[in-house]
Amino acid sequence: MMMLELHVWGPAFGLPSIDPESLAAIAFITQTAPRDQYQFIQSSPSAVPTHQLPTLYNPNSQTYHSGYPSITSHLLSLYPPSSPPSRKTAADSTAYSAFLTAHAAPLLALSLYVSSTNWSSTVRPAYSKILPFPLGWTEPPAIRAAMSRRAAHLGMSSLDTDATAEREEAEREAAVAQGWVNLPKGLGKGVGGALAPEQRARIRLEGLAGEVLGVLGEVEWKEEEVGTRCLAWAYLALMMVPDVPRGWLGETIKGKYARLGDFVDGGLGEPWRRWWARRKLKVTGRVDALQEESGELWRMAGMGVALVVSALLWKKLPQLGEPVQIWQKPLSGFLGLGAAGIMLGHLAETTVVDHWR
Amino acid sequence: MQKREEGPTRPTSTSTPGRWLRIRNGGPPRHGGGRKLSAARRSSITRTPHKSTMASTSAPWQWPVPRPLQQLFDSFPLVTYAATELPARSQPATSDSVPTLYVFASEADARLGAPSFNPGCLKWQTFLRLAGVTFRILPSTNHASPTGALPFLLPARPNTTPIPATKLHTYALQHGTCPPSEPSTLRLDAYHSLLDLPLRNAWLHALYLNPAHTSLLDTFYTAPASSSPWIRDALRLQLRRAAEAEILKTGSYLSAAAAGTAVVDGKQVYEGAREALEALAALLAESETGWFFGAQRPTLFDAGVFAFTYLMVRYMDGEGGLGGMVKGAGDGELEGHRRRVLEAARWGGEK
Repeated sequence: MMMLELHVWGPAFGLPSIDPESLAAIAFITQTAPRDQYQFIQSSPSAVPTHQLPTLYNPNSQTYHSGYPSITSHLLSLYPPSSPPSRKTAADSTAYSAFLTAHAAPLLALSLYVSSTNWSSTVRPAYSKILPFPLGWTEPPAIRAAMSRRAAHLGMSSLDTDATAEREEAEREAAVAQGWVNLPKGLGKGVGGALAPEQRARIRLEGLAGEVLGVLGEVEWKEEEVGTRCLAWAYLALMMVPDVPRGWLGETIKGKYARLGDFVDGGLGEPWRRWWARRKLKVTGRVDALQEESGELWRMAGMGVALVVSALLWKKLPQLGEPVQIWQKPLSGFLGLGAAGIMLGHLAETTVVDHWR
Repeated sequence: MQKREEGPTRPTSTSTPGRWLRIRNGGPPRHGGGRKLSAARRSSITRTPHKSTMASTSAPWQWPVPRPLQQLFDSFPLVTYAATELPARSQPATSDSVPTLYVFASEADARLGAPSFNPGCLKWQTFLRLAGVTFRILPSTNHASPTGALPFLLPARPNTTPIPATKLHTYALQHGTCPPSEPSTLRLDAYHSLLDLPLRNAWLHALYLNPAHTSLLDTFYTAPASSSPWIRDALRLQLRRAAEAEILKTGSYLSAAAAGTAVVDGKQVYEGAREALEALAALLAESETGWFFGAQRPTLFDAGVFAFTYLMVRYMDGEGGLGGMVKGAGDGELEGHRRRVLEAARWGGEK
C-alpha cells in the first residue's frame, strides 16, 4: 500500500498552507490521487532532505520530488489523466504557469511580505504559529528577505516602512548628536506623511496589480490543465483571502476582477469543495493530527534541523532582532541569597543530578 | 652667479671694506630672489593689511628657491608631444552619421555585423534589422552603458542622446523602413514570460553554471576583460555567483532560501526549458504565416524567441544540450522559425 507523503508549509489565514506552491500542491493532489494514498506533513524546508517545500516523497521509489512542477509531473505519471490535454491547452498551461511564477509571485510578495504592516501584523504571526520554537525566529526573516529580493524589480520598496523608519531614526539621532534643535516627530510631514505608504502608492500598486490580474482575468481557468488551474487558484487565494490591514490587493480583485473572485470561491470543482468543507469542519483538531503525523519526521530530522539552525544562527544572528537579545535565567531560589545561597544552590544542584541518575 | 661676481667689484668702486662685508653677510643672498620677496610683501600689505604680520613671519615655503634648482625645474617638461589621435574604432562614436548599437560581441563579429552572443543584445539587434533600421554594432560592456546594461543605441549625429533598450522599440518604429506591427493579445504576455523565466534560466545555467561550457564563458566574457589568469578566475566566479543568484531569485526556490541552503537544480531548470520550447513550438504551429500570433511580418516576440533558439543551436548543439531541445521541440517548428528569421534579418551567411 503506497502512501505518498506531501511535505508542505503549515496552514494559515484559514487556507491549508501559507505558501502558494504548497497550497497548489495540496489542491492538485486532492484532485488527482485517491484519498487513501497520500498524507500531508506540515514541515519546514530545513526538515526535508531537499531543503525545499513543497516536496513529495514516494516511498515505493524512495524519491523526493521538490517544487511544484516536478510534483505535478510525478503525480501525473502515477495517475495519468483520462484524456491527455490538447497541444494548445498544454502550451497555454505552460505559459500561464510561467506567467504566474514570474509575475503573480512578486505581486503577492509585495502584498504579504514587503509591506511592513501586513508582515508584522498578519504574516509573521502566522509563521510563528506553524514553525516550532527556534525556526520561528530564524526562517521568517530569511523568507521575507528572499521575497523582497523577488519583488525588488517592481520598485516598491517604500512599502517596507521598517527600513524607512530606521533611516529616519538614524537621521534624527545624527541631528541630535550634532546639537540641532529638533522638531517633534511627525511634525512637518504634511498630509502625505500622515498617509500609510500603501495609501500614497495606491495608484501605482493598482497599476502593477492590473498588469498581472488583467492577463489572469481573461483566462478560462476551467479549460486549462489541472496543474495550472491549481497554481492560479493558490496565488489568487493568497492574494484575496488573508485578512490583512493593508488589503489593496484583495480589494482590487474584488472590485475590478470579480471573475477571479468567483474563481477563488468555487473554481476548483466539486471534489476540492468537498475536501475543503471537510477540512474546514475539523480544522482545529486537524492541525494537531498533522503535527502528530509529522512527529516521526521531526525526530528523524532533528539532527539536521539542529545543524541548519546553528548554521543560520551563526550566519544570520543580526536577523533575530536588533539589538541581540540574550535571555538569561533570572536568579531564583538559593542563588538570590548571596554567598551562602550559592553554596546552598550548589548542594541543591547536586541533589538534582543525583536524582536524575 | 652674476650678483656674486658683482660683490667683489663693489668694494673696489666704493673702496670701503666694511660695506663689502655688510653686503656679503647681511644683504640678500640673491638679488632677484630678494626682490621677488619684497614685492610679494608689498602686495600683501596693500591688499590685506591685517595679514601683514602673518606675511612678515612668512612660512618656509615662501623662501626663494635656489637658482640651480629653479633652472632645473624650468627645463621641464622636456618634450611636449602632440595630442594623440582618437583610436580608429572610436571614430563612428564621435563623427559618424550611422547609428551605433553597442552590444556584447567580439571585434571580428562586430565588423561583420554578425549576431551578438548575448540573448538580450541579439533580440534587439535582430529586431532593428527586421525593422529595416540601418545601424552598425560595436563591442562594449555594461560599464559603458548609461543604464548599466547593454544594448543601447547611439543615434546618428548630431543627436548624441543614447537610447536605452526600453526605448528601442519606439526608435525602430520611427526610423525603420518596414516597421513590424505588434500583436496585442493578453496571451502574448503569458508567452513572453516563457522567455523571461524558463528559457533565460536555462541559458544562464548552461552558460555560467555548467562546467561543460566554461570555455564558452571564457571566450565571451572573461577573456576580453583581462589577460591575467587570476583576474579571469575572479571574474568567472563573480559571474557564476550572479547567475546563480538570478536563477534562485526567479525560480521557486523560496523555501530553500529560508533554510539558507538554496541550490539550483539543473535537471529542473532544463525540464522547464524543454516544456517552454514545446509550448512555443505549439504556439507557432497554430499560426499560418510562420510568425508567432499569425503576424504578417516577424515581430519583437519573434526576435526574442530567435535570440534564444539561435544561440542555443549555435553554441550548445552537443548531446543533450539546449540546441538539441530546440531542434526536437514539437515537429521542428522552432528550427524552421530560426532559419526564417535568419533569412528575414539578412543573415543569409549564418547557419
